[in-house]
Amino acid sequence: MYGWIWRHLPGNVLVRALISLVLVLGVVYLLFQYIFPWAEPLLPFNDVTVDDGGEETGT
Amino acid sequence: MPSSTERSTPATPEEEGTPDPAEGAADSAETEKPEPAAEETAKAENGTESADTTDTTESADTTESAEPTDTTDTTDTEEPEGRAAGRVGVGRRRLALAVSVFGELLITAGAVLALFVVYSLWWTNVLANQEAERDGNAVRENWAAAEDDDGDDRTSPATFEPEDGLGFLHVPTMTGADILVKEGIDLDILNGGVAGYYDEPVQSAMPWDEEGNFSVAAHRDGHGAKFHNIQRIEEGDPIVFETKNTWYIYRAYAILPETSRYNTAVLDPIPEESGKTEAGQYITLTTCTPVYTSEHRYIVWGELERTEHVNAQRDLPQELLEFQDD
Repeated sequence: MYGWIWRHLPGNVLVRALISLVLVLGVVYLLFQYIFPWAEPLLPFNDVTVDDGGEETGT
Repeated sequence: MPSSTERSTPATPEEEGTPDPAEGAADSAETEKPEPAAEETAKAENGTESADTTDTTESADTTESAEPTDTTDTTDTEEPEGRAAGRVGVGRRRLALAVSVFGELLITAGAVLALFVVYSLWWTNVLANQEAERDGNAVRENWAAAEDDDGDDRTSPATFEPEDGLGFLHVPTMTGADILVKEGIDLDILNGGVAGYYDEPVQSAMPWDEEGNFSVAAHRDGHGAKFHNIQRIEEGDPIVFETKNTWYIYRAYAILPETSRYNTAVLDPIPEESGKTEAGQYITLTTCTPVYTSEHRYIVWGELERTEHVNAQRDLPQELLEFQDD
């Protein structure tokens, strides 16, 4: 997969390395800007409030 | 080896599809020795050079499978065996390719998860602290701009918007920073690096109410992690809430290190779990516990000790000054 991408990048090793870096940074940007903010509320890591969760309150 | 190669010579390109499997089966006893050798070399080829050498491995397979002595009568004698080996090689190469792509996907998934941890524990803090600082400064500027009000929180000027920020929470044993408190506990509020006071399931009381429970929540990790060190609060520690005109000085008197996330009774106007049975002016801090999870809730209760009017210089009350020296 990555080998395939590497072979299909133009230019010499230096140019390919630079393009690869740009691609990686682009992917990281997409993840941090769009995908993680979207995914985070769906994951149960950051609920800090007490709520009744649709059930009877109190324990 | 020689006999096998001679017998296989008659195979023409048209017939090669049918005789090969039979040949292979018949020859298997005789060709046992060279075949594994060829396999091993092919394997070695695949292993070391991987998918990069798709074109070269085929030729490598054919040439290596032929023994050095056979080189004289190469081309036609070697071909069927070479093709058989090539077919095996194609299957193996496909498998190797699939395995390598699968492996790369696994590595990618691991890298994405690692990045998610970086995002959760670092990047959200960066963003939230920026936002909280900006909003906090806006609130303080708003306070400074409206000096001409009557000094009573209950009749604050019209510019007062609880969603912009009600005031600042100071808990010196937990954090040296002041925490902006806004209205609401939705994630889009709390993710701004602030604490929010409950508007549901229980409507929080306001600090200036005669009695009731001022209940706030904030993140333990990520998004500013304002209550990250809530476990440092001990009974007797000051919890100070600063509004435009008043310092509300509470003392922590009860701590519930772990409770159910559905335990909304902790927000009651008289939080009986803290041992109180009479109405009073309470404050409740809630966040998640243990650290990095949302399994349970950590609760700190405080009771109002006294209030102090904010002077023109906004000098800190005695309870906070003690910690300034440290």
